[in-house]
Amino acid sequence: MSYQETATAILDEETHDAINIDRTKGDFTFPERNKFDAGWGLSSKTVDYICDVKKDPDWVREFRHKALAVFESKPMPTNWATEDLNNIHFDKIRYYLSDGEKPKRTWDEVPAEILETFERLGIPEQERAFLAGVEAQYDSEAAYSNMKEELTKQGVIFVTSAEGLKEHEEIFRPWFGKVIPTGDNKFSALNSAVFSGGSFIYIPKGVKLKQPLQAYFRINSESFGQFERTLIIADEGSEVMYMEGCTAPKFETATLHSAVVELVALKGAKIQYVTVQNWSSNVFNLVTKRGLAMEDAEVRWIDCNIGSRLTMKYPGVIMKGERARGEVISIALANTGQHQDTGAKMIHAANNTTSNVVSKSISVGKGRSTYRGQVHIPKHLKGCKNNTECDALLINSNSRTDTYPAITVKGNRHATQHEASVSQVSEEMLFYMQQRGLNEGQAMSLAVNGFINDLVREFPMEYSVELKRLIDLEMEGSVG
Amino acid sequence: MSSTTTLPTWLQARQQAAQQRYESTPTPKRGDEAWRFANIKQLNFENLTGIPAPADPADLISRSVGIENPVAKFVFLNDELIHSKISLADAIICLPLVEAFEKHSDLVEQHFMKQETRLGSAKYAALHEASVRNGVFVHVPENQIIDGTIEVHHWISGGVTIFPHTLIVTGKSSKVRVVDIFHSADTETSGLAIAFNDLCAGQNSRLDYIAIQALNEVSRIISINETSTARDARAKGFVLNTGAAWARNESLSRLEGPGAHSDMLSVSIPAREQEYDQRTFQHHVSEGAYSDLLYKNTLYGHSKTVFSGLIFVDEKAHHTDAYQTCRNLLMTDDCEANSMPGLEINADQVKCSHGSTSAQISDEEIFYLQARGIDPVRARQLIARGFSVEVVERLEDEAVESLVLSYIDEKFNGIAKD
Amino acid sequence: MSLQINNLHATLENGTEILKGVNLEIPAGEIHAIMGPNGSGKSTLSKVIAGHESYVPTAGHVLLDGIDISEMSIDERSRAGIFLAFQYPNEVPGVSNANFIRAALQARLPKGEEIDAVAYYKSLYEKMDLLEMDRKFTGRAVNEGFSGGEKKRNEILQMMMLSPKYCILDETDSGLDIDALKIVAKGVNAMRSPERGMLLITHYQRLLDYIKPDHVHVMAEGRIVKSGGPELALELEEKGYDFLKEPALA
Repeated sequence: MSYQETATAILDEETHDAINIDRTKGDFTFPERNKFDAGWGLSSKTVDYICDVKKDPDWVREFRHKALAVFESKPMPTNWATEDLNNIHFDKIRYYLSDGEKPKRTWDEVPAEILETFERLGIPEQERAFLAGVEAQYDSEAAYSNMKEELTKQGVIFVTSAEGLKEHEEIFRPWFGKVIPTGDNKFSALNSAVFSGGSFIYIPKGVKLKQPLQAYFRINSESFGQFERTLIIADEGSEVMYMEGCTAPKFETATLHSAVVELVALKGAKIQYVTVQNWSSNVFNLVTKRGLAMEDAEVRWIDCNIGSRLTMKYPGVIMKGERARGEVISIALANTGQHQDTGAKMIHAANNTTSNVVSKSISVGKGRSTYRGQVHIPKHLKGCKNNTECDALLINSNSRTDTYPAITVKGNRHATQHEASVSQVSEEMLFYMQQRGLNEGQAMSLAVNGFINDLVREFPMEYSVELKRLIDLEMEGSVG
Repeated sequence: MSSTTTLPTWLQARQQAAQQRYESTPTPKRGDEAWRFANIKQLNFENLTGIPAPADPADLISRSVGIENPVAKFVFLNDELIHSKISLADAIICLPLVEAFEKHSDLVEQHFMKQETRLGSAKYAALHEASVRNGVFVHVPENQIIDGTIEVHHWISGGVTIFPHTLIVTGKSSKVRVVDIFHSADTETSGLAIAFNDLCAGQNSRLDYIAIQALNEVSRIISINETSTARDARAKGFVLNTGAAWARNESLSRLEGPGAHSDMLSVSIPAREQEYDQRTFQHHVSEGAYSDLLYKNTLYGHSKTVFSGLIFVDEKAHHTDAYQTCRNLLMTDDCEANSMPGLEINADQVKCSHGSTSAQISDEEIFYLQARGIDPVRARQLIARGFSVEVVERLEDEAVESLVLSYIDEKFNGIAKD
Repeated sequence: MSLQINNLHATLENGTEILKGVNLEIPAGEIHAIMGPNGSGKSTLSKVIAGHESYVPTAGHVLLDGIDISEMSIDERSRAGIFLAFQYPNEVPGVSNANFIRAALQARLPKGEEIDAVAYYKSLYEKMDLLEMDRKFTGRAVNEGFSGGEKKRNEILQMMMLSPKYCILDETDSGLDIDALKIVAKGVNAMRSPERGMLLITHYQRLLDYIKPDHVHVMAEGRIVKSGGPELALELEEKGYDFLKEPALA
């Protein structure tokens, strides 16, 4: 048997298990119990339906309608992105589904099936163990949203976006749609037209959250699009870590997830946004994420993409204040049938700003991973620095990896460096490990873990069920 | 001159088809991936100025200074041959293209513009094919080793467009080196060159090609390179850009056999308002081949560079080694460097990497040289020159290296006077 | 109880024959050495015994305590008791030594059984002390950035931790200075046991000053051409491999 054949055969069982995350965990569904359903397809009627159900203020209704027009006017970006986007049929998607219940403050109030869903995913348990607050979204709306009482006393706001735009308009509205304008891309426009769910967070001046806030996004219904919208504002000198996880059952038909996440870190604030994306392999995950970092502020995106059929996500940071820092740490794993198209955008807009991008991707079987980067350092700034590293590991002759960074530097008072490499788990390395008694699958998974080891450490240890398995593998061998 | 020669029928047919292709292919526009960051305005060729000057051929021939004792030398003025001197073995074909069309029609047809232009300038490659009038054809048969260098000068005089073509074919285990130098007859009239070089390196052969672009700073050039490298062959392509208002280089290297080796090298030193736009493609068709790209830009004034490079490894091209490095040295506050290094890997057991840096000379480096008594202006120049020399040294031929360095030094001297 | 090699033939994938009928028996409790010029097939023999897939066994058998291992995969052979100390140990980036050895030990336990971490580290540190290895080695990635001597010591450390039945040491002495060689020999000698057989593959007699073999074999052109006691090694050192070419000795 040749090396490739063996690798494929073994990958299907052991390595697959080992380097893959347990996707069966999220693969279950309950019958729909939706009171509100916007129906199939997207039109201005759909938008009005959502506005009516959500009792949106007029400015939001207007915002949505404008966005719909932008969405309709923009072509699919297939001039640079994959043709697979053409397999999204916007008329075969339902844009809003909910049971009409308000998010509950305690798990006891959450309907039994939804509670069971999140219990199976381990969310209430994690909340008790180490989280400062949790929002759990089920299809279009949050079923549960709660935060530790002491944070409320400190003035921290952690609510759904719908609540944010109504109850905290004075903070919400000035920043909403400012970091990512509606017309940024076709999918940000789509989200702006039909958004529902997601979080609004405000951290007051100087408040530093010791424990993370978490959101969990769950798709339960078939042929559905989830469009949550998150806005996080960290006021001067504050700190927050926000984590999101997601799962969906594996349906026959395509599901669409298209979120917009805007972060605002005011002077000296620090926001860390951690994602473990584990959508089932029928989900198109087309997400726009960007942060604004003011003077001395820091925005870090820590991103792990394991699931979905196609992910297109390029978290960005606009460094608008002096000495602002932006960072993207990303791990992507593309298995057969998956395309992880990820990257980073670093826009330097003030002096002495620094950005760092570290991306590692693993392509297994027929999987494909792509890195796209943009670094922009304009004229008349000085002392800006960017470092970009992207490494790809290929595990099979059918896998594929692409890297397309774009770096623009104007003026001579800056420094950028970009490095990328592609490597393989070599036959000789496997032979060496097998000679010590590890079977091919174990040897492969050890090599893969070695490859991403240093990035896995960037994720909060306690975090999600999904990533834990990945870390476990490393922990299996490390005691001390 | 030879322009009255009847062209072979195959070429006439291809030129007609190319003219149609040129007309039917849309002009590149903003938003085209292959022209990202490019200055599309430069593609308006209607504004060439200057009267076709009555350049004195004798004067240009005397100004066509290159290396000492080239094995063959050609001088063209606006695509017309005005001088040639050849001292090569009879077995070696080294002729003006017009003559080659006539005498070696079949051999030229076999190799002439065989690859698809895929880096954005398909329209201009078609125009070149439709309009090509002259250039040089070199064919080195099996086991023939040419130790010296073939040197070709292309002069543009007046607001005209030239279409120089260099076609080099090396047989098994042969060796050749060719230098193309592009000049303007004066400094005021804006000419245009749409140049093409076709390099076909046969099995185990060694083919070195050096292009020196030193046009005046109101002229423009599109130059397209297509290289194919057979089993165990080694091809080396080098481009120096010091002249022109705008230069677009597209360089594609196909590695077609195991053991094939391709070096893709470039030094560019734009100053003032100059813009250089370089696109490269390392195409690993065969397994077990090696390619290595090193492009260095030193930017002065308000100049701008674009580098877009792709390493593309086909599905069956296992055991590929491919490297790509683009380094930008930013010398002023108004220059702009854009880098888009890319990788597309579809094979297994591949070692590929790319790197790109943009930086200025550090104060410590200047300080070190100053501490040795060198003034800061001179120190910066020395460091910048050293930065370019690292690429030039890879030519591994003393005569050609010093020729290239003489153009580099001339450019630096001009910059120092600004 | 022995590692028995019967009429072993092996070719490269392209059909070139490297092993042309090797016969050798290493009983438990004995140390055998194979010497021979470059290209004689010594290293190939070690890889074929370990099951390397670049070689195609075309005839013969390898019996481990009477059991034919020819059909076993590389890792099955390892778990059955074959250990190969590599001439050029591979790097495994990002995987620490401690994790690696632990994973190899874990692979030897029945499903569900876990290694006792405390006992594991105690045992690991003991052996590292014997081999004069710094504690920092546990955290470093396997062989990455190791000097030649460090790599070889690391091989012996793995051997000691996995306590195999039969050890094959491929050119373990190459690239070692005399101090490192002594340390490595100390480790190997500590592994000497009536239950364990060892095969040293070496180009030079030097190693055998520190690890005394019971038998010495000479390999040339894919066969064992001469066998004898420790004195054979000295004879080879003195006369060189050329004397083997005399017909009387072949």
